[in-house]
Amino acid sequence: MLPLLATLLSVPLQEGGEAASAAAMQAAAKAGGSPVFWGIVIGYFVIVLGFGGYFARFNRSTNDFFFGGRRFAWWLITMSIVATGVGSHSFLKYSSKAYEHGFSATMAYMNDWFFMPLFMFGWLPIIYYMRVRSIPEYFERRFNPGVRVLATISLLLYMLGYIGIGFVTMAKTLLPIVGPHLGLDLIQIVWIVAVVAGVYITFGGQTAVIFTDLLQGFILLFAGIVLFLLGLDFLGGFDAFWNALPDDFKLPLANFNDDPGFNFVGIFWQDAVAGSVGFLFMNQGLIMRFLACRSVSHGRKAAAFNVLFALPISAIAVANAGWIGRAITTTQPDLLPPETNPDSVFVHVTALLTSPAGFGFFVAAVTAALMSTVDTLINAVAAVTVNDIYRPWMKRKGVESNDKHMLRIAMMVSAGATIVGVFTAWLFSQFAQLYEAHAFFQANLTPPLVAAIFLGIFWQRFNSIGAVATLIGGAIFIVLGVKFPETLVAPFSHNIPLQDGKSYIYIGAFYNLVACFSIGILATFLSSKPSDKKLEGLTMWTVDKARHAFKGGTPNDRQGFKMPVRWEVHEELPDGAIVVDQETMEGLAAVEGDLIYICDKRWWLGGLRSTHGNLRGSHQHGEVAHVAADVAANGHFLAGKMVVLEKEM
Amino acid sequence: MELEFERVWLPYLYLYGVGGLIFFTGLIMVLKSPAYSHKRLKDRKWLGTLLFGYFWYAGMHGVGILAAIS
Repeated sequence: MLPLLATLLSVPLQEGGEAASAAAMQAAAKAGGSPVFWGIVIGYFVIVLGFGGYFARFNRSTNDFFFGGRRFAWWLITMSIVATGVGSHSFLKYSSKAYEHGFSATMAYMNDWFFMPLFMFGWLPIIYYMRVRSIPEYFERRFNPGVRVLATISLLLYMLGYIGIGFVTMAKTLLPIVGPHLGLDLIQIVWIVAVVAGVYITFGGQTAVIFTDLLQGFILLFAGIVLFLLGLDFLGGFDAFWNALPDDFKLPLANFNDDPGFNFVGIFWQDAVAGSVGFLFMNQGLIMRFLACRSVSHGRKAAAFNVLFALPISAIAVANAGWIGRAITTTQPDLLPPETNPDSVFVHVTALLTSPAGFGFFVAAVTAALMSTVDTLINAVAAVTVNDIYRPWMKRKGVESNDKHMLRIAMMVSAGATIVGVFTAWLFSQFAQLYEAHAFFQANLTPPLVAAIFLGIFWQRFNSIGAVATLIGGAIFIVLGVKFPETLVAPFSHNIPLQDGKSYIYIGAFYNLVACFSIGILATFLSSKPSDKKLEGLTMWTVDKARHAFKGGTPNDRQGFKMPVRWEVHEELPDGAIVVDQETMEGLAAVEGDLIYICDKRWWLGGLRSTHGNLRGSHQHGEVAHVAADVAANGHFLAGKMVVLEKEM
Repeated sequence: MELEFERVWLPYLYLYGVGGLIFFTGLIMVLKSPAYSHKRLKDRKWLGTLLFGYFWYAGMHGVGILAAIS
């Protein structure tokens, strides 16, 4: 395997695995002048774009465009989540910290399980059964329109910040490659990246995004693991790699509180708490993924498989360039000097280990995935702006707007979000490293929303006044904490020293969370209880009502089987209707009025050709499903292909 | 390898102590809520998966530390 990979991707190896190439920095710059490198990069982008464009055909409405139509299998959604995580700023950010601190750079990938019970049984069933399409929508239904406005502002800031991080990451990836040739600085490259992103956005919608993610998720994991194998081969095997690392580098958790730039306890509160809740509960892109699942059960499977198995593999894929880089610096400092900028370690190590063609593949895989992530975020900004600001505003004016008009508005918002993203990118470029920029952003922006969502879901007493106090009061206390860290944050700091004597990067999240939760709880106790109407189906304690609302009646929990049948369209049936024979009905353990998921029998399509319908009685014509015309159209079923019926809930 | 207890095990104890407090509090809330029904086989399976996940990660990190200090 290794010799084959070395032949395909890497530089020619001499005896003992020593590279014949020049130093790492020259290798990266040299690739920037290679036509083969650029041919591979452009070719890769064209293939990915074409792949997404093909699946854009499966959109039939804005519902499909934004949410993918609630049809996909768990494994598709898992890979989509992997691509979203790995394909964002991960390769650069974690390689950077892995180069400085070793295996503990993977901490942020390995601490997401603590909130899983509350996500699987609380938030996921609520958003799915109550059809909550965005965080602001949840805030309006649980509280009032005023809280929705505050949440929309917070959420847009959060997503625009992430677009900026995406732009900076892409620019930092390209800087060592194109910088020496074109004489461009980081911000000039950010502008170029933003223009390319504007062209790259295909407006293919959620279905295109999910299938492009499937392709890119596999490629990124494969590329990351191959890079590790190439690195081990380069160093002379695993033992040589292991022995080249300092002892402290091998520990999976960082120092408790010694280093203000990277410490365990600060990252626990910033990432394991604020970051995990931020990712699972308030990431609009992730909500859209889970709403694209065929059922709550498939959503749970996607989340569980992602955290239990995909994240540990992803952690190795994204961080190993830093570990390999450190081992090279220890054994051959002339190839990768100790003073190398950690944020460029991923690019330098990849350039060192691969040929221009192989390097082109790696750079293309990472930048194309970053483009997809930014694309998804811009899509999410458009979804929130259209659904939470523009549509309600048009409704108040009494204007009916069609899908075409809404799509045009979504595209205009996307262009605006791209430009704002450039300015946030400039802000993040002021930090010494990408990891710190992202952590500081996450520690200070997410806590008010995290506290408000959390209290809203898990505490029935929490009311609108509490939510407003959390969002506004929390933001004020956070600003004060940034201004006066020694007075306000220090008591929560676990004795972490101040970074450069002026601020806390990570542990500020602990102070921020305590402040936001305290204000919310205090304001709630000082005001009246919310009405029961505001709670139905929107808290974990009333989620049974959400199942009831989703079904439109009492859920049928009897365990049934999946039933393969032929299908035919019956024009006389009302929209959404499915009629089956008595035997199939018994196999499904279904009764009239139950919700049915109907899917092409070929499992590997992942639900691409599927939809939902209502069971409307039985017939006497054998094992064939009679479906309404709209069911066949929405499911994109192919004539002559069998379908599988499954009772929902 | 000679590293202090505080450097090696304190982060681990904090992660699975404070993290465990969050996890098991969440789990108890789930069990007390109508979101979970012990009558539903699927819910019981998910409860098992959730418990497995906590010990899966605690085990992975524990083995990682032991490999590093051996």
